[in-house]
Amino acid sequence: MKIIVCIKQVPGTNEVNMDPVTNTIIRESVPAIINPFDTYAIEEAVRIKEKYGAEIYGLSMGIPGASEMLRDAISLGVDKAMLLTDRKFAGADTLATSYTLGKGVEKIGDFDLIICGKQASDGDTAQVGPSLARGLGVAYETGISKIVQIKKDSMHCMKITDDGYEEIEIMLPALITVVKEINVPRLPSIKSMKLARKAEIEIAGFNDVNADENRVGLRGSATQVRSTFVPVHKVNSITIEGTTEEKVKKLTEVLLTAKI
Amino acid sequence: MNTNSFAELYGEYLSDESRMMGRAESIIFPKTEKEIIMSEKECTLKKAPITVQGARTGLAASAVPLGGHIINLSKMNNVTGARYDKAHDRFFLRVQPGVLLADIRKCLLNKSFITAGWDRESIKALDYMKKNEWFYSTDPTETSASIGGMVSCNASGARSFKYGSARDHIESLRIVLTDGDVLSLKRGQVYAKKGIFKLMTECGREISGQIPKYKMPCVKKNTCGYFNKNDMDMIDLFIGSDGTLGIISEIEIELNRTQKADWGVTIFMPDESKALDLVIALRGEKIFENSAPMRLKPSAIEFFSHKALEMLRTQQKINPAFSSIQEVRDNYHTAVFIEIEEDSDEKIFKQIQELGDVIVNLGGDEAATWVANNPAALEKLHAFRHACPECVNMQIDEAKKKDTRITKLGTDMSVPDEKLKDVMDMYNEDIAKNKLNGVIFGHIGNNHLHVNIIPGNMDEYEKAKKLFLIWAEKIAAMGGAVSAEHGVGKLKIPFLQKMYSEEDLNEMRNIKLIFDPLQLLNRGTIFSYKQREDMP
Repeated sequence: MKIIVCIKQVPGTNEVNMDPVTNTIIRESVPAIINPFDTYAIEEAVRIKEKYGAEIYGLSMGIPGASEMLRDAISLGVDKAMLLTDRKFAGADTLATSYTLGKGVEKIGDFDLIICGKQASDGDTAQVGPSLARGLGVAYETGISKIVQIKKDSMHCMKITDDGYEEIEIMLPALITVVKEINVPRLPSIKSMKLARKAEIEIAGFNDVNADENRVGLRGSATQVRSTFVPVHKVNSITIEGTTEEKVKKLTEVLLTAKI
Repeated sequence: MNTNSFAELYGEYLSDESRMMGRAESIIFPKTEKEIIMSEKECTLKKAPITVQGARTGLAASAVPLGGHIINLSKMNNVTGARYDKAHDRFFLRVQPGVLLADIRKCLLNKSFITAGWDRESIKALDYMKKNEWFYSTDPTETSASIGGMVSCNASGARSFKYGSARDHIESLRIVLTDGDVLSLKRGQVYAKKGIFKLMTECGREISGQIPKYKMPCVKKNTCGYFNKNDMDMIDLFIGSDGTLGIISEIEIELNRTQKADWGVTIFMPDESKALDLVIALRGEKIFENSAPMRLKPSAIEFFSHKALEMLRTQQKINPAFSSIQEVRDNYHTAVFIEIEEDSDEKIFKQIQELGDVIVNLGGDEAATWVANNPAALEKLHAFRHACPECVNMQIDEAKKKDTRITKLGTDMSVPDEKLKDVMDMYNEDIAKNKLNGVIFGHIGNNHLHVNIIPGNMDEYEKAKKLFLIWAEKIAAMGGAVSAEHGVGKLKIPFLQKMYSEEDLNEMRNIKLIFDPLQLLNRGTIFSYKQREDMP
């Protein structure tokens, strides 16, 4: 079977510092990594490969430097990787991103399964997976927490919901997004890193994927960022000291004055 | 306040991570040095024993009171200043003893400090510091440890293989003596001469004495009683003194420059002997004739025994608390974990390739490795390492439910390099002979392994305790240290007695009497309390 895993490059930290002047994320000295949610998608693809046999394609859209991240994906068990990179793709929102990724999928060709992480750790939208599936016209399910069995034309899975789990059967080809619970992603080995070093990453630009110029990048984006800002926390706190009685008295006064 | 109501109100302060239970009559949480002085003066007047506490994460019960008064320093938790030595590009932080290691790390990561009350020099130093990345190298696995506690037991941790122990990064100390007088010591300023030392307190009192003559073990990690060397820097006497000489009220720690690249590799070897060969190679020793020493210079070399991996493998499957740690394959036998710091990823990659060749030459498999080449991945390997003591503690808690007398049984002994294989043979043979469940992990780079026995019942517990005493004796005979990083505290006094003669211990007692004539501070720590014949 042929599996495509969509992978995004994100800043490798959850402690994001914002530049107070430009209101953008300070990316200096923060190494770029594979979106942590996508590591579960890669791992699940590799587990399917080990159990049923498969060829895994890693697919990403991003800056040219993201090819090194795809090399990391290869060291985790991905067989081949394609990076969609072009100035025309820049500034894409989730709609344009999923359209562009769809063009990448078309270039890779027939597939049985696309696996995406639940969402990206920087954008947090969780829209690209479902949007990509709609664009490609295939079935999709989000929040997959377990793949029970893969049959010839369908796949038996567990899906996490607000109330518990749903047991579902999806017809293939399909797209799934997976949650953290699905597995423990492995780390690369010295051997796999040596192999990944030699691997070739396919680079595809706008002209390579037969895309509509009005549907990629900033032009193809339905949403646009007008401005970004760091929220100002204006919380005044006071410390009440003294004996318990004094503290209660003071607190009562404060609450009454504040009319709470 | 009677003892009962004290225990009800402040019960948690009667114990520490060693899980030994003590008793006390009163407690104070000073916020300033002045408050420490006042409290100590009062105790001296009343002749009340004093127990000093930091974050109570110690494993040797140093912070467990045996009656009297507790001075708990957890509220002295401010970073109070910084200093930059431009000529030598050295950066220092001034901290109160209750500051936690995790706090320091967070401040350094975010380059954000609360600077209220800092002097101008400190603020200026901070600006210099912010231009580069710095870290504090002392890294006991427990990050909720306090800096004061870490100084008191001369803590170290994994990266001490490269960076040394707490001692190597302490630049100055302020120490409040029991009479309220203060010693302010700066490294490089006061040395003992020909075995005699002289110190001047802030009130102008001269304190002099003789450096003890007992021989310290020839190991890289040691915290067995007071440090002694003929011409020693006197600040070293107080580091690792387990709070028995004075109360530390301020510490200046030195930071190190963070290297640009920091990777971790866990290597699974097919058996223990091959894992030990790998450790020896990683230390830079030749393992094959004609082979050159490895270029790779790890900053940490850690070990996981077969049983330790088995424990982690099982817990990963059955215990939700450990379900997110890396999965250990069934054929992975014994593991070695290393950390490598360099100024570029490329340099480390080259070293990793060399490591792969060595692994294969030793009969291992390059595929049986986990490589962490970014901070998030490295955190996973750290979590895996930290899961070892956590799993052990949980199993001890389970055993305790069956018999409340059971406490944690972990060793903290180190031996000289050439004794590594001997000491491993000793542990393995004795554990097998006594049919005990023994898990071995820890800082193998410094031949410093934590052997943890998980007793199924009281009989096994007693057996293990006896075994630890035998090991202390054998390790002392190998020229090793019976306590490498946890301190002697109260629990390891019997081990220290295997290492040092009564005469040696009396020399330590004499040192204590010079600084604490009434023997009020941390009584029953390092050595047993003996009433002075000349005192009522």
